[in-house]
Amino acid sequence: MKKVFSILLITAMVLSLTACGSKNAGGADGDEKVLRLALNADIVSMDAHVTSNDYIVPMNVFDSLLTIEKEEDGSTKIVPSLAESYEISDDGLTYSFKLRDGVVFSDGTPLTADDVKFTFERILTLPESVQTDFVVLIDGAEDLMAGKADSLKGIDVKDDHNFTITLSASFSGFLAQLATPSTCIYSRKIVTEAGGDFGNICEKTIGTGPYIIKEWERGKSLTFEANPKYWGEAPSAKKVVASVMDPSAMNMAFQKGDLDIIDCIFLDPNVVDSTYRNGKYDDSMVKVDRMGTNFFMLNEAVPPLDNPQVRQAIQMAIDRQSILDSIYNGDGKLEDGIYPTGCVIYSNENQGWLKYDPEGAKKLLGDAGFADGFDMEISLDSSAGNQNSNMVQVIQDNLAKVGINASIKSYDRASYLDLRNSGKAPSYLALWLLDYNDPDNIIYTFFGSKDNTVLRSNNYQDEEVIKRIGDARQIVDPDERAAEYAAIEKKLVQEDAVWVPMFSLKHLFIKGDRVESFKPQWAGWSDMYYKDIVLK
Amino acid sequence: MTVSGIIKRIGGVFLVLLGVMLLIFIMLRIIPGDPVSVMLSEHVSQETIDRIKISMGLDRSLPAQFFSYLKGAVRGDLGESYFLKEPVVDLIAEAFPYTLKLAVFAALIAWAFGIISGMICAMFNNSFPDYLFRGLSLFGVSVPIFMVALCLQYLLYFKLSVFPLSYDGSFGSMVLPAIALGWNSAGSVARLTRSSLMEQLGSPYIDTAMAKGLSYKGAVIKHAFRNAMLPIVTMMALQFSGMLSGAVITESIFSIPGIGKLALTAIQTRDMPLLQGTVLFTAFLIAIGNLLADVLNALLDPRISVS
Repeated sequence: MKKVFSILLITAMVLSLTACGSKNAGGADGDEKVLRLALNADIVSMDAHVTSNDYIVPMNVFDSLLTIEKEEDGSTKIVPSLAESYEISDDGLTYSFKLRDGVVFSDGTPLTADDVKFTFERILTLPESVQTDFVVLIDGAEDLMAGKADSLKGIDVKDDHNFTITLSASFSGFLAQLATPSTCIYSRKIVTEAGGDFGNICEKTIGTGPYIIKEWERGKSLTFEANPKYWGEAPSAKKVVASVMDPSAMNMAFQKGDLDIIDCIFLDPNVVDSTYRNGKYDDSMVKVDRMGTNFFMLNEAVPPLDNPQVRQAIQMAIDRQSILDSIYNGDGKLEDGIYPTGCVIYSNENQGWLKYDPEGAKKLLGDAGFADGFDMEISLDSSAGNQNSNMVQVIQDNLAKVGINASIKSYDRASYLDLRNSGKAPSYLALWLLDYNDPDNIIYTFFGSKDNTVLRSNNYQDEEVIKRIGDARQIVDPDERAAEYAAIEKKLVQEDAVWVPMFSLKHLFIKGDRVESFKPQWAGWSDMYYKDIVLK
Repeated sequence: MTVSGIIKRIGGVFLVLLGVMLLIFIMLRIIPGDPVSVMLSEHVSQETIDRIKISMGLDRSLPAQFFSYLKGAVRGDLGESYFLKEPVVDLIAEAFPYTLKLAVFAALIAWAFGIISGMICAMFNNSFPDYLFRGLSLFGVSVPIFMVALCLQYLLYFKLSVFPLSYDGSFGSMVLPAIALGWNSAGSVARLTRSSLMEQLGSPYIDTAMAKGLSYKGAVIKHAFRNAMLPIVTMMALQFSGMLSGAVITESIFSIPGIGKLALTAIQTRDMPLLQGTVLFTAFLIAIGNLLADVLNALLDPRISVS
């Protein structure tokens, strides 16, 4: 009897374990249209105002006044979102917006123009806000931040749907900044009532977007459900589960059919080549141009990189096409400037001038007094992945061929950022993926102020050019603006050789059998707009 | 074992914790890597970095930061996580049940396998079962956790669909992580059980027990095993506190939101309050594990003094 009982008990345990396993291994969740995705790391906050990295919740649970769309030809345009229409005054200082009718937050609270004012005031006054740069040009922003004013003078609420924003100085990239998830709109009522729980507790993190955040299990997963009160077209997936996984688990889960889309950027490049580039997945591959420039930065404060001829020689010494072909399977395009392809004011005039020319590089080094070469250091962010470290090794090899002895020093991410932000990284390889589709986003960040040149370890010295970059923000006429930005780009890269422009890459995703269509984010971020994924 | 001995040891635990607190505080300030830079990553200005530093209290002097931390710690307040914006104590309290569940499950699997296979090895010394389990235990101590985890996921999730890939809250999803975490411990326990038991089996009291009519199996289980348990219990207590504090890899691979994963996030992001809190907590667990091992030893063998 005892033996029979033991056998029954063991059988029951095995069955229960198998049942637990098969439910999840199969991944089905009733008949609901559930989209199953993977994240390589958990988010830190759901509040867009306190994070400059985690935009999944702001992109899917909230809306901004405007949004950016990608055209068939790869260019981008700003289109209405919560703001139905807008007008800009001739002097480029005042923007008049009209909000869309009938928009409510997912708890039923109506969206009003006062919510916009509240949102931007919150960005400027929240002690831990990281998004102040996006709205600091609004008139009165400085006073509000300094505690000299109680409200943001530059926003005038006319009625529930109409308001104007006045800038302290004109800035043509302002509309693009309003189209980022960083400036998504919150409700005064909801945020005030939620207090410190906003952005941390799902039930209190309420937006107007296509999804509601239902559950955030820290370190594990995020669960979204379609917002029945969404003002736009209802999304195809009624539920989205984004689970935090390590790369090998992600790959296994996708292969088994438990994930609907896999982002190849998270995987080992060798796995991508052997598993997904073997022809079997050609029909399921979704490639998008990343609107970002990969570059090799040279620090002018570190001799002999203070010599422009030396920097020009380094530009000529690096075989960029070979790196693109061998490390990235040619999945990208050489960039010879600062602004990546697709960016507003991208100028073809500044393309095609930089050629791989080791002999020319040697000659330039000789002219600069370094015929016997010199020693330099490349700082490497060890968390940036294998492809990045492979690229750095090829660059090291390229430089050796012209007599430059480059040593690679690897740092963990925190130490790397510390070094780079102190202005002391001698040279480094990095990528800048645009936050908004305006050249200001990249050029101002790197060269727009003395602080920025230190923070990005280029220590660019020409104060006149730095001033021109600041002044260019205020040009209202589109043609004049395009000409000035192109001229500054030419000066920085071709004359002053501030960096070695490398290339822009394609971002590869593979969609599973349950996905009908999928449109990645316009700049090729890993974060996706879930409404742009259609399930079968 | 005396009450005063235990009280002395508990006092020692507090001293250790104070030392750990000071050490981790100093170490975190010595290593390069500014938490504000990591938090804000690339897309911010110097003004924002300076403002956030002030809001985090990082502009204060180091002694002022340490004493305010110490003052809070005495009151049970370990500060607020820079990144997760929640009290560290709450985050640890949320994460610990996951780690505890995993450690208990892993320990049960490891010890059951380890002790049984160790006993079989000792009882069938130099025969096939001994070779088999010795080989397995050697495999257990030498294969790293991440490799075990990957193999388990491949076989039992990908090929056989028996268990889920990662932790989903169900009982079944804890099986693979528990095996992965307990794998090394099982090998160690098996090897120690074998050697300890064999030492006892060579003692004259086993012959006496058998001469009194007890079977070999009976003599092993009733006499030799109890005496052989002493070093094994010590090892098990230390292993358990190690599992509670060192499940970083297992928790990361199987997405278990426990203490290990919390500590990993904290170190990657230089989240000082969170890292200080998790280190302090794991130091506490290890100190308690050591104390427990000594108390158990004293209970099992009255000749051993706990102090």
